[in-house]
Amino acid sequence: MKGVGIIFQRELASYFSSLFAYLIAFALLLVTGVLFVNDLTIAADLRPPDAALVPNFFAFALIFFAPLLTMRLLAEEKREGTLELLLTAPATDTAIVVGKFLGAWAYFTVILLLTFTHQFILLWVTRGQADLGIAVSAYVGIWLYGGACLSVGMVFSAVTENQIVAAFLASAALFLLWIGDRVGTVISNIDIARFLRELTLQGHYSSSFAVGLMRPEDIVFFAGIITLMLFITIRLVEWNRWR
Amino acid sequence: MIEVKDLTKRYSTRLAVDHISFKAPEGEVVGLLGPNGAGKTTTMRMLTGFMPPTSGSASIAGIDILEDSLAARAKVGYLPERVPVYPDMTVEEYVLFWAKLRGAKAPRKQTATVLERVSLADRSKTLVRNLSKGMRQRLGLAQALVHNPPVIILDEPTIGIDPQQVIEVRDTVRSLARGHTVLFSTHILSEAEQVCDRVVIINHGKIVAQGKPAELRKKLQPDLHLYIQIDKLTPKEIEKLLKSIPQVENVQKAGDGYNVRVKKNADIRTELIDRVLRAGGSIQEMRSVIATLENVFLDIVGKEDV
Repeated sequence: MKGVGIIFQRELASYFSSLFAYLIAFALLLVTGVLFVNDLTIAADLRPPDAALVPNFFAFALIFFAPLLTMRLLAEEKREGTLELLLTAPATDTAIVVGKFLGAWAYFTVILLLTFTHQFILLWVTRGQADLGIAVSAYVGIWLYGGACLSVGMVFSAVTENQIVAAFLASAALFLLWIGDRVGTVISNIDIARFLRELTLQGHYSSSFAVGLMRPEDIVFFAGIITLMLFITIRLVEWNRWR
Repeated sequence: MIEVKDLTKRYSTRLAVDHISFKAPEGEVVGLLGPNGAGKTTTMRMLTGFMPPTSGSASIAGIDILEDSLAARAKVGYLPERVPVYPDMTVEEYVLFWAKLRGAKAPRKQTATVLERVSLADRSKTLVRNLSKGMRQRLGLAQALVHNPPVIILDEPTIGIDPQQVIEVRDTVRSLARGHTVLFSTHILSEAEQVCDRVVIINHGKIVAQGKPAELRKKLQPDLHLYIQIDKLTPKEIEKLLKSIPQVENVQKAGDGYNVRVKKNADIRTELIDRVLRAGGSIQEMRSVIATLENVFLDIVGKEDV
C-alpha cells in the first residue's frame, strides 16, 4: 500500500520530537522501576520474583496511557486542517490509518523494549534462574494487547477534533473492556459471564499469556480487535469526505 | 489541464455547487471568483479528490477524478484556505514529507529547489510553529509545488497576509502559469484581474459568467460610457444639451461633470464636442469610462440576489 511507510515514519518521528511522549515513557519506566524493585524486595528469600510483573502492570496502565499516545493521531490532523491535505494526497484512507496505527504501535514497542532492562537485572539478580518462559509469553501478549488498546484509542481520535475528549472516551472504553474481566462478580449466570469475559482484553491475557500460555485463539482475538478497530477508523476518516 | 462538466455537490439540505462546467487549459491561470459561500472551496475540494461530487464529472490532466482518484490526486498540488501545518516539524521535514507522500521523483532535491523558490531556504531547519503567517503561507505554497504537479489548486492564497507578501504570492502564481494549470480562488476582484488569464465568476453555486477579464468587462458592459466636464454653461443648459442627442440613454451628475450612457455601438463623441462648442461651452475633460471587473461583478452578483 503506497504511503503507509511514509506516514508511519512521520508518525513515529513525531513521537520522538515531542516532549510529551518522552514524559509518558519516563513516567512509565519510573513506575515499572519502582514496582520491580518493590517486588524484588518482597520476593527475597520467600518466592521467585515475578517475571511477568512489568507486562502485567501494562495490562492495567494501558487503559490510561494508550489513549495518551493515540489521542493526537487524527484529532490533531482534523483540527489543524492537515487531514484535508492528507486526504487529497495520492494515498488511500486505509494507508493513512494503517500508517498512523503502526507508528503508534512502534512507539509502544520501543517503550516495551526499554523495560527489558528490568528483565536483564532480574536475570542477573537470580543468576539466570528467573522463569523467562513466562516473561516471553507475557511480553508477546502485552504487545498484542497494547496494539488492541491503541487501535481502540484511534477510533476515538477519529471521532472528535478535541484530543482531551478523544483520550477520555478511549480510556472509558478501555476501562470497560478491562473491568469486564470481573464480570463474574456481578452476573451469576455462568455461561453469560463466561461469554462476556471472552470479549474482554484481560480475558485473553491474564489467564493465558500472563501465565506462560500462548494460545492461538488469544492471538486471533487481539488481531481481530485491531482489524475491526482499524476498519471502523477508516470508515470514520472516510466520513470526513462526505460531510 | 482541468475539465469540469456539470459538477454538482449537494449537502443534505443545500445545493453548494450547481452543475458547473468550465475548462482550464495548460499554461493558464484561471480565477474562481465569487463572494464567500459561493461554492469556490467546495468546487476545489471536489477537484482535489477530498470529497466526491454528487453528480457530474471532472478530469485533471486527462484523468477522471472519480475513475482513478489516486492517479488524479498525484497530478494536483493543493493549498487549502487555512494553511495546514505540522507545528513540530521543521520546514524541510514538512516539505519533504509531502514530497514523498505525493510521489516526487527526487524528494530531497525537489524540496531544496522549492524552498529556494519560495525564499524559505534559509529557514529550512526552523520549526514550523515558529514561522510568521506570511512564511507559513509560502510554506503552504511550497508543499503544493514540491512534486511539480501539472495542476495547482490554490484556495484564497492571499488572505490574511501583508500587502508586500500579497504581491509576492501573486507574482509566484503568475510565474507558475508556465507549464502548469493554475486554478485559484479569490473574492478580490482586482487580484483576479491582475493575475488571471481567465475568470470564472461563481455565485450561489452557479457560474454566472466566465471569460477573459477584458472580455468580461466588454461583454457585460457593452454600452459606451462617457465622462464629460463642461464649463461656461449652467447645469440646466448642459443637461438639456446632452439629452438632446438622440443616442444618449442616460445622463447622471458625477462630481464636477456628467456620466453619459450611450446606446450600443453609437459613438457620439464628435457630435458632442461640436454641439458643446456651438452652444458656447468649453470642454474641460472628456473620457470614456471603462468598467472594472468590480462593477461587472457587483452587477452580476447583485442581479442574482434580486
